[in-house]
Amino acid sequence: MKLTVDGVAHEVDVEDDMPLLWVLRDELKLTGVKYGCGIAQCGACTVHLDGAAVRSCQIAAGDAEGAEVLTITGLGQPNALHAVQAAWVEHQVAQCGYCQSGQIMQAAALLENDSEPTDEVIDIVMSGNLCRCGTYPRIRAAIHTAAAKMKEA
Amino acid sequence: MKHLALCAAGLLALPVFAEGENVTITPPASVSRADGLAAWARIYQVTSHPRCSNCHVGPDNIPMWSGPSYGRPRPHGMNINGGESRIGAEFLACSTCHATTGTRANDAPHMAPQVTADWQLPPVEAHWFGKSSEDICHQLRDRDLNGDRSYREIAEHLDHDVILHWAWSPGGGREPAPYSLQEHVNDVLAWGVAGMPCSDD
Ligand code: FES
Ligand code: FES
Repeated sequence: MKLTVDGVAHEVDVEDDMPLLWVLRDELKLTGVKYGCGIAQCGACTVHLDGAAVRSCQIAAGDAEGAEVLTITGLGQPNALHAVQAAWVEHQVAQCGYCQSGQIMQAAALLENDSEPTDEVIDIVMSGNLCRCGTYPRIRAAIHTAAAKMKEA
Repeated sequence: MKHLALCAAGLLALPVFAEGENVTITPPASVSRADGLAAWARIYQVTSHPRCSNCHVGPDNIPMWSGPSYGRPRPHGMNINGGESRIGAEFLACSTCHATTGTRANDAPHMAPQVTADWQLPPVEAHWFGKSSEDICHQLRDRDLNGDRSYREIAEHLDHDVILHWAWSPGGGREPAPYSLQEHVNDVLAWGVAGMPCSDD
């Protein structure tokens, strides 16, 4: 199957029912995408598929043929962070970090949809992304900061 | 030749016979009110079953988790809200987790179900969760509230809309809706031919 990941075209030889998460981690070695549950219960595997946030553990490789996938690895670069990543650093959001790639990808998608989300909207959109370290208050604060930065830009 | 003659006879006897995509849509010639009400009672068992009613929710747009696999009824976890769009467009799209797929089976317990159609809540007019048999009966026969459908068009909707078929093959250890899709369609047709009676008429 052909797919573009973080702007790079790939051709991978996998079974149609292999989860996209497996393709990204095991075939393309993009281990910034995390495996938490495999059943859409945690959000750790969140990537953007043709611009929309999805749980990559739920997408079959066969259904992602020709798709554009964006992972945490392609969202920003160390010298040019995405506004959400910069806000995450500013607020020191991460604790153990395991859930954070999914949190950041979901937050980036949220801000594409709603440039000034209220606390209520943030809580609704982000509640599918679990954090066992309980970084939720910092996630919320960092999303407000990123929203403000993106407005200035 | 004999086969053709039988088909022709069938067509004459049943002028509205139609082969649907997934089921046969064959309204009976006549149905008594009592049999129509009996068909409705079975339809209500389907519409009030968790596989259907959990998504047929009201204006709060919050899908439910209820049924034997959930213990007590509760709102869908993760603070999910389908919004007025009923597809989560204002917040978190249903498709974030409920993938549209022709490839994978719903075989893992607790996994977000997925079908070959975009996951969504039905229109708010079709609010069934927690409603009585009479309320749902009145709603389903009212063209202003049922998507402007005749009983036959309701049967065709059941035939075409594959998200509805999931109710009878939900996988993941979930209890399927009662009867079968074909039996449910037959009941809708029988209820329709009887004049869509409701028990409080
Ligand atoms: S690993 Fe995909 S949602 Fe948990
Ligand atoms: S930072 Fe540890 S799980 Fe979220």
